[in-house]
Amino acid sequence: MADRTTEVIQGTLDMLILKTLALESIHGYGIAVRIEQMSGGVFRINAGSLFVALQRLQRGGLIRSEWKETENNRRAKYYVLTEQGRKKLSSETQEWERQVAAITRILEAS
Amino acid sequence: MLRSITSSVRALFRKKQLARELDLELREFLDMAADEKIRAGMGRKEAVREVRLERGSLEGTKEAVRSAGWEYLAETLWDDLGFGVRSLRNNPGFVLVVVLSLAIGIGANSTIFSVVNALIYRPLPYDRANHLVAIWETPIGRPNQTQPPPIAELLDWKKQNDVFDDIVLTSGTEDGILSGAGSPESIHVMDVTPNFFEFLGARPVLGRIFYAEEMQEHTQTVVISDAFWKSHFRGEADVLGKILHVSGLISTVVGVMPAGFAPFYGDPVDLWQPVDPASPRYAARQDHWLVPVARLKPSVTLTQAQTEMDVIGRRLEQVYPETNKGISSRLQPLHDALFGYAREPLYPLFGAVAFVLLIACANVANLMQSRAETRRNEFAMRASLGAGRGRLTQQLLVESALLALSGGLLGVLLSFWGIKVFRSLAGIFPGSDLIDIDRNVLLFTFCISLLTAFLFGLYPAMQVSRSDLNDLVRTGEQRTMSGSRGLVRHALAVSEVALAMVLLIGTGLMINSIVRLQNVDPGFDANNLLTMSIQLPEGGRYVERVPGGDMERATAQVTSFYRQLLARIKALPGVASVGSISGLPTHFSEAHTFTVLGHAPPPPDQRIRVGYNEVMPGFFETLRIPLKKGRYLDEHDTASTAWAIVVNETFARQFFPNEDPIGQQVLMRYDPYPVDEDRPRVIVGIVGDVRHWGLGDSAPPFVYASHLQQGGTYPGGSIVAHLWQEIAIRTEPGHSPANLGASVKKIVAELDPDQPVTEAVTMEQILARSVGVYDFYLRILGIFASVALLLAVMGIYGVMSYYVNQRRREMGIRIALGAAPGNVLSQVVKRAVQLSLLGVALGGALALGLARLISGFLYGVKPSDPLTYVVVAAALIAVALIASFLPARRATRVDPLTALRYE
Repeated sequence: MADRTTEVIQGTLDMLILKTLALESIHGYGIAVRIEQMSGGVFRINAGSLFVALQRLQRGGLIRSEWKETENNRRAKYYVLTEQGRKKLSSETQEWERQVAAITRILEAS
Repeated sequence: MLRSITSSVRALFRKKQLARELDLELREFLDMAADEKIRAGMGRKEAVREVRLERGSLEGTKEAVRSAGWEYLAETLWDDLGFGVRSLRNNPGFVLVVVLSLAIGIGANSTIFSVVNALIYRPLPYDRANHLVAIWETPIGRPNQTQPPPIAELLDWKKQNDVFDDIVLTSGTEDGILSGAGSPESIHVMDVTPNFFEFLGARPVLGRIFYAEEMQEHTQTVVISDAFWKSHFRGEADVLGKILHVSGLISTVVGVMPAGFAPFYGDPVDLWQPVDPASPRYAARQDHWLVPVARLKPSVTLTQAQTEMDVIGRRLEQVYPETNKGISSRLQPLHDALFGYAREPLYPLFGAVAFVLLIACANVANLMQSRAETRRNEFAMRASLGAGRGRLTQQLLVESALLALSGGLLGVLLSFWGIKVFRSLAGIFPGSDLIDIDRNVLLFTFCISLLTAFLFGLYPAMQVSRSDLNDLVRTGEQRTMSGSRGLVRHALAVSEVALAMVLLIGTGLMINSIVRLQNVDPGFDANNLLTMSIQLPEGGRYVERVPGGDMERATAQVTSFYRQLLARIKALPGVASVGSISGLPTHFSEAHTFTVLGHAPPPPDQRIRVGYNEVMPGFFETLRIPLKKGRYLDEHDTASTAWAIVVNETFARQFFPNEDPIGQQVLMRYDPYPVDEDRPRVIVGIVGDVRHWGLGDSAPPFVYASHLQQGGTYPGGSIVAHLWQEIAIRTEPGHSPANLGASVKKIVAELDPDQPVTEAVTMEQILARSVGVYDFYLRILGIFASVALLLAVMGIYGVMSYYVNQRRREMGIRIALGAAPGNVLSQVVKRAVQLSLLGVALGGALALGLARLISGFLYGVKPSDPLTYVVVAAALIAVALIASFLPARRATRVDPLTALRYE
């Protein structure tokens, strides 16, 4: 784990959740852990922001949920990406890349 | 978005289930996190603590998730509402004062808005009403005036235009005489073209509409109103075919219009009679009587139509140079034509009530602030238990809204009564029947209620959420007043004084005007004068139509009727003298232009209009209008002698500055008829100026001609100056006028059983009525200003009480150290004077800017009249002093021990 962990950059948590769910359906804790792992320990997800985001995405129809057994025989709510969510992820990703490229250009200008 | 809403709404109902699910899910989440740490070798207790630090607590997360959805807002609003009601219930006195102040402010606004709504905002109740336009013509040389165009032009327009669907002609509501059945009565009549009804999409409930072809010299067909049908024919179906005598014309009823059909003016109309623009009667194109109303084609704009009318107008100028040279048309949206008059008086009133409401808001804000301060402990407690600042602000705003909406509800109830008061003050005016409380008024009231809630609730709410609550809990009740909060209170008091100042100045200016008007010399002696008016009909035995034009000839019966009438009135007991005129001062007068024989005639577009009326001998003597030179008109001025006229001093001064007017001959012309009278009239006398156009207007140049010396033929309706005479009777002091009215009625009935006469009215009543608009303005501004003053006094009292309470300790110490009570008193009073001085200065400046808006209702006083400003300012400061005296006296009685014990 890295020395310093931060909250994810404002406005990007939704995109990160969608990305995580694009790989596989998973429960809330799984999402948090995957994001933290994939970020190499830079991001730390707290429960409040995660569940607010999940509720928002679900209301927007980008994800849906179902109760399932976990591998440890517990019942957990699994989140699944919808078709709409998949489209949203692709458009968000493109937009994000465009913006990052732009910011990078600005920062590298001499 | 939609899905988000539906799922939120569902969420509201499945609240419990969702909460349970969330709880389960979160527990799982935290358990999984803890398990992982335990697997990594951590103790269970430590793992749980670590997770809570890293990921957040169960309850905190639940609250965060819940408060993210908007259904949470609804939920907490509901809670706040319940809490607000409970909390307010414990404070009935506070609620009563707040709701009452708001109800008065809001009720006054709703009342005025309901008037504005009915007269200015509400569209006319006709199909495509915004496409309806009135067509006026601008008289030659007077491009800013408008008058009805000649009736015959309708035919030219109809043939030549491409912009109108249809055009109708309509008169205003006119008086007609219904006779032939029982005692004669005066009824309301409208003259319209037959297409008028279809134009408005109205159909008779019984029978049919009239046709133009049914009009003959002495007969016509008419359509009656539902009310007239019920009052005169008991609503029976056999009314069709019944014959009425309407102003001398034999009229057959062919149709009945539905109840509520009262086009354009809202006046109750009894009967509609036809006008045929194609009849030879209007071929002379010299009448200016009926207003054309047209409906624009759907795709045509007002500007396009105006352009088209300009083109047609130029063509008509060429075809009819005699009547149309220099004349153009002006289109005006019908709504403006009917109700445009209402804007000038109503908008200032709207402003005045807005001020009343602002003062009420300032007062309530003050009260809310005090209440918020006494509740600081409560808020501190809630904050320390985890309520966010947003929640506390929301709570206070919900309470404000609750109060404001209660005030609004009561305000609506008050405005039912307010409308009644407004009507009784304003009397009958066009559209006065239309004022009611409709959906727009309710919506308006709702909106201003919410707006006031923000106005008076926002600041206290912000205060509470901004103050350092932890600090409060620690020190308990703190008895110092923070600087900014005191400043806001003082600002509220100052603005209340300023707003009240503006309204009081308005009232003061109106009082000034009325007093001046009451002292105006009308130009004659109005005491002991009784008046009655008679309008002989424009048909029957008094009038013959001259074939082939719109000229009318008065028969000899007119003069003989009035001669006999005046002679018999004069013989009545108690009558000192009697006379008559076409229109008494402040009533009707005609406009004539003239040329002086021997003077160069003015160019056609520079003829000056003067007032003109016909009088019967005895008129000047009866009114006691002073003779300045020459002689009055008398019995010897008859058809067989030279036509004589008397002019007033203004006329003499204006037109004969360097000559003697007596003996000068003038050729009179009925304006806008383009031909002079066939005989000159010679000026035989000059009389004092009489304010014919109202006490508030200076006397116009005026010509009095003798009723006995008339050519007999009159163009375009001008015959009414001959047919109508208002009788003035000077009674001997002490004689009862009531008897006299009945006697005159009897004489009229004996002379002509078909002729109605109005009730007797004293000349003083007529003059009082003529200043009615000033009086109305005075009363209504006076009401608003009194309310404003009362509220402002309450406000100052409240602020000064608070000021004294906040300084109890300081004053206690000062008294303990030996300060005289007088010192303490003067400290408080000084503060009150400072506040009111500032308010008076600001209000005075504001009033200077705003008073110009009511300058049209002022008489003899400038909007910046210094005396009014000084008197009102002094009165306001005096009132402020009185309001601050009670709190100040309380300050001198502070017991040092009690005050210090608060420490």
